Amino acid sequence: MIVSELILPVLLVTFVLVLGAYLVAVLDEAIAGALGMPRATSVWTAPLTQGAWLLTQQANATEAPDWRAWRLAPALYLALAAIGLAVVPFSPTLIPTDLVTSVVLWGSVEALATVVIFLHGWSANTLLALIGAYRYVALGLSYILISMFVLIGVALPAESLQFSQVVASQEGLWNVIRQPLGLPLFLIVGLGMTFWGPLNLADSRDLAGGTASAVSGPPRLVWNLARAAMLVAFSGAAASAFLGGWLGPWLPGPVWMLLKMLAVLAVLLLIGRLVPRVQPERCVTLMWVVFLPLSFVDLIWAGVEALL
Amino acid sequence: MELLTLFFIVLIAAGLGLLIQWLPMRHQPMPTYPQRAPFLGGGLPETHAWNRYHVRYYPMTLLLIAFEMEMMFMYPWAVVFVEQGMKAVMEMGMFLAILSVGIVYGWREGVFKWQ
Amino acid sequence: MAVSWLSRLAAQATVPVFPVRGMHGEPVLHRLALAAGIELVDSPRHASILLVAGGVPPDQHDALRRVHDQLPTPFATLWYRSEPLDELAGATRVDDPDALPEALKTIHRELMSGKRGSSPRLLPDEPPNPWEGLGDDGHGGEGMMGGVPYGRPMAMNMTDDIRDGLTLDSLTVTLGPFLPMLPPGLTAEVTLQGDLIQSWTTHSAPYPIALESAFFQALQGPVPIAELERARARYHLKRLHFGLRLAGLERLALEALRLAFEPHPGQNRVMALRRRLVRSGFFRLTTTGRGRLDENQARRVGGIAARAAGLEEDWRSGDEGYRHLNFRPLTQREGDTAARWHQTLAEIEQALQLAGQAERDAVHTRRSDGVETPRGPWGEYRPEDASGVLEELLPGLEWDEAMSTLASLDLAPLSPWSLEETSEAPVPTSVEERRA
Repeated sequence: MIVSELILPVLLVTFVLVLGAYLVAVLDEAIAGALGMPRATSVWTAPLTQGAWLLTQQANATEAPDWRAWRLAPALYLALAAIGLAVVPFSPTLIPTDLVTSVVLWGSVEALATVVIFLHGWSANTLLALIGAYRYVALGLSYILISMFVLIGVALPAESLQFSQVVASQEGLWNVIRQPLGLPLFLIVGLGMTFWGPLNLADSRDLAGGTASAVSGPPRLVWNLARAAMLVAFSGAAASAFLGGWLGPWLPGPVWMLLKMLAVLAVLLLIGRLVPRVQPERCVTLMWVVFLPLSFVDLIWAGVEALL
Repeated sequence: MELLTLFFIVLIAAGLGLLIQWLPMRHQPMPTYPQRAPFLGGGLPETHAWNRYHVRYYPMTLLLIAFEMEMMFMYPWAVVFVEQGMKAVMEMGMFLAILSVGIVYGWREGVFKWQ
Repeated sequence: MAVSWLSRLAAQATVPVFPVRGMHGEPVLHRLALAAGIELVDSPRHASILLVAGGVPPDQHDALRRVHDQLPTPFATLWYRSEPLDELAGATRVDDPDALPEALKTIHRELMSGKRGSSPRLLPDEPPNPWEGLGDDGHGGEGMMGGVPYGRPMAMNMTDDIRDGLTLDSLTVTLGPFLPMLPPGLTAEVTLQGDLIQSWTTHSAPYPIALESAFFQALQGPVPIAELERARARYHLKRLHFGLRLAGLERLALEALRLAFEPHPGQNRVMALRRRLVRSGFFRLTTTGRGRLDENQARRVGGIAARAAGLEEDWRSGDEGYRHLNFRPLTQREGDTAARWHQTLAEIEQALQLAGQAERDAVHTRRSDGVETPRGPWGEYRPEDASGVLEELLPGLEWDEAMSTLASLDLAPLSPWSLEETSEAPVPTSVEERRA
């Protein structure tokens, strides 16, 4: 009882999160290499050596940071990634925590991510980090609605707010085909939550690293780790909501799930390398004027389709 | 039980995050003041960075509140949607149509601009 | 035991280098950008080596000391064609660009293994203002906003915002000379409200940039147009690299840089680069139609910026050799950031096309009383520092817009030394001398 409902879920989440974060780094390195960027060390050891270097580097401080918030923010971001992954079902029985309201919980993870990322930039009390933080809030407040509508869309045919039910409802046809607008819109949300690639408004180059510009050493390692872990958690949610989760022939459910997560990660990382960073003001307009109405269309499409 | 498990997962993840920071850092001395100065490419700030920051997208945040309230209705609606059938589609369709008018109006008024 | 295992792993990491871009230091950084196993980072907090590439004038040594002290331990310095600061007399100096990547890797390995100690702190460990034990609560503050809590005053503002008229706080900071987003050497006092630039005062001009010797020879007598135009294309490709990297398009940025290093870059590859750039959404997503130069400003900056604003000013139109090649200056109308990048790409293509044609017919320049450099016309005078234009251009722009506008502008004065002789060029001693 304790083992199957407490220890096993905790171990599963920790394992997938850490391994996944490592794979994100490997995959990103491999994609960069394939796109012709110079890389020396092998893609398999690069994340480890970088991590080791960060562990040996001194942790920086700023003149008067909000110490508690500054050190907590990376840890909380990691914790949010863990919550996000905890509600993702790996098979009909292998679900770390099978809450009946897991879709709602995922929505709150997205909202809290904005808070934590803001806190990370704000608490350093330096100009570039501060700009990154406030700029990220504009993005965070814009992507959250898109995510809500898209997720409600997958909840409609399932008649439930539970991810395992959402997966089960895709037995006949996956949501990625049934609601064609859903997955592309949700991928935008994923890039936003992890401020990756085109939506990297928080830690961008024009801010010398933004919210992370004043961070070094172990806190930076945790921040990078949490960001990669959040990508993993997101890929889990995307695979369950749109790619039929554990469903698939021949292979066992959890294997299908991991393969689908990897596919989502590969797409996200590729977008991250191919699309330029969107200018903040343009980003907000795009989100509200293009993507949000599209998510309305997605919801109505999903609604009508669920009734047919 | 599910919530308890979730609680443990949060605890362990956050604990791990703090531990990775704390373990290597516990013997490190405080960096010197020049090191702690904000990085501005060799330049210096006159003041602390914390201030009454001019958030330029404030009209957008107000628009968001309208939508966030709507989400509260949407969760229960999603669960009973198939049961209610076409009626539910019409209701939510009307709701979204009204909100869309709000977005279009907001756009025209420059709500998404950096004021 | 565990620690040595960790440092051995850390020694193999990609070497994170924070470059201080000194005078004529840019070329070597371009080579490093293509080198494997080295990463050029944007913040000194993310680096284990401070690479000072090129000379730094003595009046900016204090800024250099401040950046030096901002690297977390353990870190080392490496000086490329630059005299180490007096306090760091024993620091490694490398003058051979080919030896640089290996030197950086060796230093990083030695740092990690403990063979080399961390560079010493140069500035005294003192807060910007004494605060401990002072003020109402012993943290330096007085009343609500007064005093110097923890060493600095709080931001306060009594002026209205230039966009919406609200009165909130503004921050005044000095940026540069080594901020990676700004042209090397540029220092400015900037006041921001939120992320919007309220005022911009340039304090010192960007360091002069060196051109290839072909442009200098063109002032002495006829030179093959092919050579001149290829040098022009290379120059603009390097600028494009900077702009694309800033926009988060590292891959295309490197592609532009690789083209710049080729002896005969193919015109079709530049066209392919432009197509990929358009497809990636670079023009639609990263620019907002801001950063527009009016006619006067465009004329002051000259070169690409002038032609992007619709001014048909090009020294080449008056040259018989170019006329023989049917040269006609290209222009854009808008004069904004996107127009300047369109113009840059168009001029790279044009330059390569002219080079191809000129090579076939062995055409030489005929005029030697002046030359159209990539930075603008060089007749009686060399193109001078145009960073003054920023004071009118940047206020009112949001930070991201301001940085992308800066990247699209080429404001630095031209160096009296050609790229090939910069290793012998002396470092001016002060700002005044650089301006003159």
